[in-house]
Amino acid sequence: MVGLEVSIVTVRDIFQDEAGRHSRFSEEYRSKSAVIILDRQDLGSLGAKEGDLVAVENDTGSVIVAAVASHDDAHPGLAIMYNSPWSNQLVPEAVCQSSIPGFKSIRATVQPAEGSAAVTDISEIFSRIKG
Amino acid sequence: MATCTGCSLLCEDIEAELSGGKLSKVKNLCRKGHGHFQSAFSERTVPMIDGKKVDLDQAIARAAEILRSAKSPLLFGWSNSTLEAQNVGISLAEKLDATIDDTSSFCQGILMERILSGSIPTCTLDDVRNYADVSIFWGADPSSSHPRHLSRFSYYPRGDKRQKSYEEERTCMVVDVRMSATATLCKDYLFRVPPGGDAEFIEAILSVLEGKIPRLGDKKKMIELGGLLKKAEWGAIFPGLGMIYSLQDNMEVFERLIARLNEITTFKVIPMAGHFNMRGFNELLREKTGYINRVSFEGGAASHGPENSVVAAAKTCDAALVIGSDPLSSLPFGTARALARLPLIAIDPRRSLTTDAAGVVIPAAISGLEAGGTAVRMDGVKIKFEPIIKADLPADEQILSRIMEAI
Repeated sequence: MVGLEVSIVTVRDIFQDEAGRHSRFSEEYRSKSAVIILDRQDLGSLGAKEGDLVAVENDTGSVIVAAVASHDDAHPGLAIMYNSPWSNQLVPEAVCQSSIPGFKSIRATVQPAEGSAAVTDISEIFSRIKG
Repeated sequence: MATCTGCSLLCEDIEAELSGGKLSKVKNLCRKGHGHFQSAFSERTVPMIDGKKVDLDQAIARAAEILRSAKSPLLFGWSNSTLEAQNVGISLAEKLDATIDDTSSFCQGILMERILSGSIPTCTLDDVRNYADVSIFWGADPSSSHPRHLSRFSYYPRGDKRQKSYEEERTCMVVDVRMSATATLCKDYLFRVPPGGDAEFIEAILSVLEGKIPRLGDKKKMIELGGLLKKAEWGAIFPGLGMIYSLQDNMEVFERLIARLNEITTFKVIPMAGHFNMRGFNELLREKTGYINRVSFEGGAASHGPENSVVAAAKTCDAALVIGSDPLSSLPFGTARALARLPLIAIDPRRSLTTDAAGVVIPAAISGLEAGGTAVRMDGVKIKFEPIIKADLPADEQILSRIMEAI
């Protein structure tokens, strides 16, 4: 299946922040971080529904996260992720003159995850970073 | 009363008891602050070298050895440390001819530079409470990042000149790409911008202020915004990362907007610094070197440039000390990987991806809870605080002093 091209903006969320203060390694932090908020029609075009796992991928990396249906007005092609180790797997290092990474301008492809896939675990992310 | 170091509002009216592993009798803590106070009881670090528990003296000695033998070390973090610790940190960087950078480097730095140099007018949050009739959160969502901002300063309180407050005298606006939690509070005044569209949005406002029809965006909405800005008696703009990341190298256009608004009325700007003492580090480093971040002391003199940013320096340095920060979680994969491959020292009260990757882990007291000191609120007001829990752990300042002595 051809994936959905999106532009991802990362934002802060107080509930995810609180979970991270308890533990970066907890199930609570993972469940509140490893999500992507998609426009409702975009979600439908993927044949997916709220809570389904999706693979988000670009030249920088890839993660499997849970899809969340947006409650905002229609915003096709615009996706939201919370700033976290999951979103940072996708943030391009290509920077502007000010050397600021593209945290709010991540181009990526979203598609339904394979049946056996699970949400990317923090231990997997750590292994990738450690190389 | 305790001071919360959970964000850069540094709320000083906190009542809480922390004992026996429990937080109780809590008053005035927001959800974020609650998480911060409770973090005293979870995922605490212990001294480690290469994954093995050691005593504190050994960890400090090993950290000193790594830094002493490095040719170009990077000292990064600082925004969650007190001014006292930052002061020792800058001296350590000078002694080592090291590169020093903080989180403002990929956060509010490019705006903070203009605030501290005076090219953009600013004020205190107390001024906002007393005088502001218009507050604009631009690419910022304080309901998530600074939860008590609206209730203490910018919207709900009855200030000296704003006794009728949000019911009659204050207007809160949001400029954002989405309906954020804060935007739901002031729905009628949500002005949407497309991602990366802030510069064009500002140009459209400038056109409206000149009485022209804007070429871009929802014309009716833009004209409404122009009218609200002109009518404001005393306005405050709070830029968040949404605006910073959108404008990046084009901050001059925002400077132009503020200058134009101040020809018409009064508008002040306070950057929504995230960590509790980011501004403190920026002010202190500026006082000592003339630069707010991204400084190298190589060759004995301070130099400044993008090559000294953590993102660039992670690839060129040969060792790194990270204090009170988790760049392996918060920075792009490529930077995180570069840092993880270095001889890495982490000074942190709590476990993180960065402490897990570090060859040396040094546990520290949590500033504000277990260690006292001084910090600078997001608006430049200095706040002094005392610890509220007795802990045997050393403060950042003591750890850094001991490392410096051992080098």
